[in-house]
Amino acid sequence: MSEQVEIAIVGAGPGGLSAALVAARAGAHVLLIDHYRQVGGQYFRQPVLPVSLTTAQRQGAALRQQVLEAGVKIYTDTVVWGIFQDRVLGLYSPKGITYVQAQVIILATGAYDRPIAFPGWTLPGVMTAGAVQTLLKEQRLVPGQRFLLTGTGPLQLVLAAELVRAGAKVVAVLEANRFLARVLRYTDALWGQWGRLGEASRSWLTLQLQRVPYRMGWGIVSVEGARQVERATIAPLDAQGYPIAGREEKLECDTVALGYGFIPFNTLARLLGVQHVWRPELGGEVPIRDAHLQTTVSQVYAVGDCAGIGGARLAQLEGQVAGYAAAIHLGYRPTTDLAALNKAVEHERRFQKMYHALFTPPPGVYALSHDDTVICRCEEITQGEIRRAIASGAHTTNEVKLLTRAGMGNCQGRMCAHLIARWVAHETGRSLEQVGGLPPRPPLVPIPVADLGRTL
Amino acid sequence: MKPSRKMEAQVVVIGGGIVGCASAYYLARRGIKVILLEKDIIGGQASGRNGGGVRQQCRDRRERPLAIASVKLWEHLSSELGVDIEYMQGGNIRLATNEERMEALRREGNEELEDGLNVEVWDRDELRRRAPYLGDVFIGAKYCATDGTANPILATRALAWAAQRYGAHIYTHAPAHTIHVTHGRVVAVGAQDGANEILIETPWVINAAGPWAPLLSQTIGVPVPVEPSRSVIAITQRHAPLFREFISSHDLGVYARQARAGQVHVGGTNIPARTFEQDVPATVIEHLARGIAQMVPALKNANFLRVWAGTLEMTPDKIPILGPVDQVQGYLLATGFSGHGFCLGPIAGKLLSELIADGAPSLSLHAFRLARFSSI
Repeated sequence: MSEQVEIAIVGAGPGGLSAALVAARAGAHVLLIDHYRQVGGQYFRQPVLPVSLTTAQRQGAALRQQVLEAGVKIYTDTVVWGIFQDRVLGLYSPKGITYVQAQVIILATGAYDRPIAFPGWTLPGVMTAGAVQTLLKEQRLVPGQRFLLTGTGPLQLVLAAELVRAGAKVVAVLEANRFLARVLRYTDALWGQWGRLGEASRSWLTLQLQRVPYRMGWGIVSVEGARQVERATIAPLDAQGYPIAGREEKLECDTVALGYGFIPFNTLARLLGVQHVWRPELGGEVPIRDAHLQTTVSQVYAVGDCAGIGGARLAQLEGQVAGYAAAIHLGYRPTTDLAALNKAVEHERRFQKMYHALFTPPPGVYALSHDDTVICRCEEITQGEIRRAIASGAHTTNEVKLLTRAGMGNCQGRMCAHLIARWVAHETGRSLEQVGGLPPRPPLVPIPVADLGRTL
Repeated sequence: MKPSRKMEAQVVVIGGGIVGCASAYYLARRGIKVILLEKDIIGGQASGRNGGGVRQQCRDRRERPLAIASVKLWEHLSSELGVDIEYMQGGNIRLATNEERMEALRREGNEELEDGLNVEVWDRDELRRRAPYLGDVFIGAKYCATDGTANPILATRALAWAAQRYGAHIYTHAPAHTIHVTHGRVVAVGAQDGANEILIETPWVINAAGPWAPLLSQTIGVPVPVEPSRSVIAITQRHAPLFREFISSHDLGVYARQARAGQVHVGGTNIPARTFEQDVPATVIEHLARGIAQMVPALKNANFLRVWAGTLEMTPDKIPILGPVDQVQGYLLATGFSGHGFCLGPIAGKLLSELIADGAPSLSLHAFRLARFSSI
């Protein structure tokens, strides 16, 4: 029946790898599961051909080697499609459907891009920044010739520099927040972040050398094109992020990368019944955790971006904390210095706080779509249909889904649920926390009937 | 606690499922002042989660007249309610994989013809000819052409919207918590509306709270013998049109309907639960996948996108409890539909409206009285 393990870790990014290493070195029997073909997650994403690695890719490869040497069992190309009673995880891989029962579950499922909707956002050529980065890092593929980057945060700088180095033309980088004036308030949070500051300044230098315009306080308004993106309309933004009418400009481009931050991937935690709280500064709904990062469900831990956007470094530290706590629970004696670890976590949380204070997308960027703009791409439901459902009495995101089918398609609302929630909150005068999200439903990814019916 | 708001109504309906919404609709249409109380959202439970079948065939003989009369109502609901609820008389195919089942279907078919329901019995060749998309595990079937399907979410909502247009007041997120009874008569209902307490004076209460009906009923000394049961539906990605019938097989434990948008709903499991938990065991998902792959082989390569559970309320004899009770005047039960509530919802609401407005329903409710269980 189910394979038995002591610790199942879902997600082999920085958080999952670190948790696995600590727990396995202490002696625990650890299974690490990831839906990509190679471990590493988005930050350590490895190329298909392991040549000319970046610093992060070298670090990731080294961490993977350590994890393997510590005796961690790794299932790649494996999706966790549901979690059932008694901590049984449903797995789906090229082998088919299998099950694993774990004494402890550590969720390290990361985050996904938060797209925004505007006229033309469904045209081929509009992508999330994360998708562009995945293609670059893993496939060494540059998915366009003339890129416009729009969004907020230093990751845009890094991506723009990567694109330039890969030979693409970046027509502009638009930063929605005028953050420079405020950054000096956070010198203590920046102190010690030399790696990050170094990467940002190297990226900045690359863009300066290539004369890539970096426009602070600007954002996208719409894109046009017959069959794919041909040009974008951009505009300066007011203090709330709304485009200032009459000052629009047009830019010729074929690819638009949206970098408006991330949404914690909390679906597995919610499926397990973990209690969540609404923390917009952490990306949305995040699980409640104790000092050892255990959630409200016994022996279920959550680390890294899936528990609140905080980046790779914080994920690694949190992974170590949870790996330590899980090993202790199972009766092992890890050698980790927990006090030093917690101090490092605190330092990272200061950076996390600064990051969100400076780079949270302003409300205006969610107000670009029109009533005829498609919001749910899978089911092709427009903003107008969503607003009509709200007018007819839908008070929650889930009720809008029931009435319109928005969020019922292949992506299960990962693209649109946050956009629908904003409309419900806006039209009903209720908070985003009150209007809620979409209930998680297994299978978390579409699975062929033939495979589900043929259990190994 | 002192109520912060007092109201009056001629009828209070408890429960915003299809039975409660249909009751409110037919009452309001008669000009009766009705207030509906729903603890959560309209059609949020079994009424919005079911497979969407509207069938007359394969019913308990006592229930058959109600199903036939309900379909007469369904035929006009879309135009009457002003909402396209995706009702379609695409037929219902009840399948057999063995001779024993086939014989039972034949017997039932004869009884149905006697009762005025037109059904056809198909042998293997007829089945291949009429429904070539079905798997070869079936040896025959019974077919009812006037049976069909509708969109459960839209149908329940549309009844609620129409009730409101006729003047019904609907409170959602407003659980009823007390039925006040004086001298053996209903006099009022207490409920919570957000932070407010409300007290509604009324001579009539319809308890249409589905599996939750017993909780309130026992507080006024009327025990209701229904048990919750978990039912699961899986849904595929959109598929090109494959079939318009509602198809089901007791032998495989699977039924299916293809919705207008193309997705196929697959159900057929019933887990006696005695709880209101709605998690879906992996074994049930596998069962539905195996079942639909056998039933409609073309769906083997379709993806399951989602599963969900709903809570049915089962009576010991699997037919509803509908109508007045001996213990309390003015108290009507409309529960225990045992999985048949979606089809029967409109007629149940209409008969209760007649009972209240005319003093007697146009079809006898004798078979559905609560007292039938007192002799057990």
